[in-house]
Amino acid sequence: MSSSKINRRGFIKVSIAAAAAAAASKAAGLLRNQSTALGSPSSQRQWAMVIDQSRCNGCKQCVEACRASNDIPPEIAWNKVYPSGEVNGEDTFLSVPCMHCAHAPCVSVCPVGASYYRPDGIVMMDYDRCIGCRYCLVACPYQARAFNWTTFEGENPAVPSYGEPDVPRRPRGVVEKCTFCYQKIDRGLALGLTPGVDRAATPACVTACPRKARFFGNLNDPESPVSRALAKSHSYRLREDLGTGPRVYYLPADRNGKENGS
Amino acid sequence: MGAAAGITVFIMGLGITNLSDLVPWGLWITIDLSSIALSGGAFLFCAGVYLLGLEEFKPVARTAAYIGLIGYSMAMLCLVLDIGRPDRFYYGFIFWNTHSVLWEVTMCIGLYFMVLISENLSTLANWEWLANKFPRQAAWMRKTHDFAPYLAVAGLVLSMLHQSSLGAAYGVLIARPIWFRPGLAALFFVSAIVGGTALTFLALSIAGRIKPALDIGQDIVLKGTRFLGWALVVYLYLRFWDTFAMTYTPQPGRMEGLAITTGGLLSFNFWAGEILLGAIVPLVILLNKRWGAHYWLRTTALALTAGGVIAYRWDTNLIGQLIVQQPFLPDHVPFYASYSPSLVEIAAGAGIIAYGLLAFTLGVQYFRVIRPAEA
Repeated sequence: MSSSKINRRGFIKVSIAAAAAAAASKAAGLLRNQSTALGSPSSQRQWAMVIDQSRCNGCKQCVEACRASNDIPPEIAWNKVYPSGEVNGEDTFLSVPCMHCAHAPCVSVCPVGASYYRPDGIVMMDYDRCIGCRYCLVACPYQARAFNWTTFEGENPAVPSYGEPDVPRRPRGVVEKCTFCYQKIDRGLALGLTPGVDRAATPACVTACPRKARFFGNLNDPESPVSRALAKSHSYRLREDLGTGPRVYYLPADRNGKENGS
Repeated sequence: MGAAAGITVFIMGLGITNLSDLVPWGLWITIDLSSIALSGGAFLFCAGVYLLGLEEFKPVARTAAYIGLIGYSMAMLCLVLDIGRPDRFYYGFIFWNTHSVLWEVTMCIGLYFMVLISENLSTLANWEWLANKFPRQAAWMRKTHDFAPYLAVAGLVLSMLHQSSLGAAYGVLIARPIWFRPGLAALFFVSAIVGGTALTFLALSIAGRIKPALDIGQDIVLKGTRFLGWALVVYLYLRFWDTFAMTYTPQPGRMEGLAITTGGLLSFNFWAGEILLGAIVPLVILLNKRWGAHYWLRTTALALTAGGVIAYRWDTNLIGQLIVQQPFLPDHVPFYASYSPSLVEIAAGAGIIAYGLLAFTLGVQYFRVIRPAEA
């Protein structure tokens, strides 16, 4: 697994981040209080998602919950559900959010650094910095990104049946994508909740799944739902051959047969 | 009309274009790439004259530098139109992402545009109105010509960087197997040399024909076009090697890309636009002593070469986007996206091209961009 390897650049980045964090927390009492409240520095957490294809029946509740929670216009989906063929006579599906790659092509190509890594592994978009060149759209192997071709006005059809928005709408002309619902994670952590376990701190698609096919949590915590799910079954990630190091793992629909997908 | 279309785009947003999440780069990016490629003459001839000492090409270098100035301003107009947030066009200079090829291209184009302005200051000083109204400033502007060699060095470095990096911008994308190959950077650079030379001599030939006083002389034109003929041979060889050696691999996505280039949607562009009319016909004309000396044949060949470079940019830009791969799905079958420019894209694009032509004729008229003999 590439995420466990430490390369030189990663090491330097982590050390710089750690040094900066230490300096900052000494300087600002506010920050120190917050980091005590969070328990451990966020760089020790590595968020990941596990999607069990054997449980998914393609109902797309995750798509709609995501749309409501993140206030996404109807023509865009951060989380897409593709049919992925039949296994043992049953239809299977592949739900594809942003992979939050450890080596994300979108982050390296962005000319203004509007896409960036959070220390906890989430690949984030800075909507105030994005110039809308759409290079990241072309660079993403998973087609996880979408551009705001028009201004999103009017009501969101997914609200309120699938939830209430908890982030502001994005302006026209910027690119957006799945954020692992960072807003729920951060607020949850501040309240002492555990993302992946407590519903309020867990991404909307995970809590919305009626078949409990999605798991979320900290990969560095062996007791987290993702670590336990990965320990129980073999798993695969999409296009591992590209070396992007996705943080979304799939449990194949046919656990005994061959994997579904590459 | 082009300006009106441009303003409409700024107000209404990119939603009125035919671009989509699958094909986010279209006609404007092609015009942007083409005008940069066709401006390649500026760095080439400035380097040739001021660094290699090919003094006889001095009039060519002056014209090429002016065409470069127009070309890069056209490219930047395209980019401002094309990005989703035109109000943030300068962010690349503030927020650096040194890992991004596009950031490097942005920096180079910005800096090179300043080099081009400096290179053209002495030409702009020829404007009579300016020379009469502000003689001291005009004299100062003329003096900048003394720095031409240094500017040529900067221009050469920056151009080599970004002309090739525009190809590399496509070549680094691992998500698109048809682009993910090393040949693009080399091809973009060589085709910029070809296209820049072609457009420069095309402009010189036509101007010399319309106004005999602007004729820079047959000798130098023939030398230049002969060089272009051989450059075309190199380009053609590279293009064939790139297409049939680098692309002809069983990797998913590449074969489909090759298929639509040589036998599908883009095949006319490729075979007729790029290869036959864009390279073979002009190189035969330009390298043949008798045909190359014939005005109409030569001018046609130059125009065809420039057209071939544009066709190459169009094909390259579209090919990677038309094949949509979802290789994580079990059947691995790519599907084909479609794109054809909308009316507003065509209108705004035509407006940019019209601006370029107008700026060139004004330059010939007022800045005496074409001066056969050194005054």
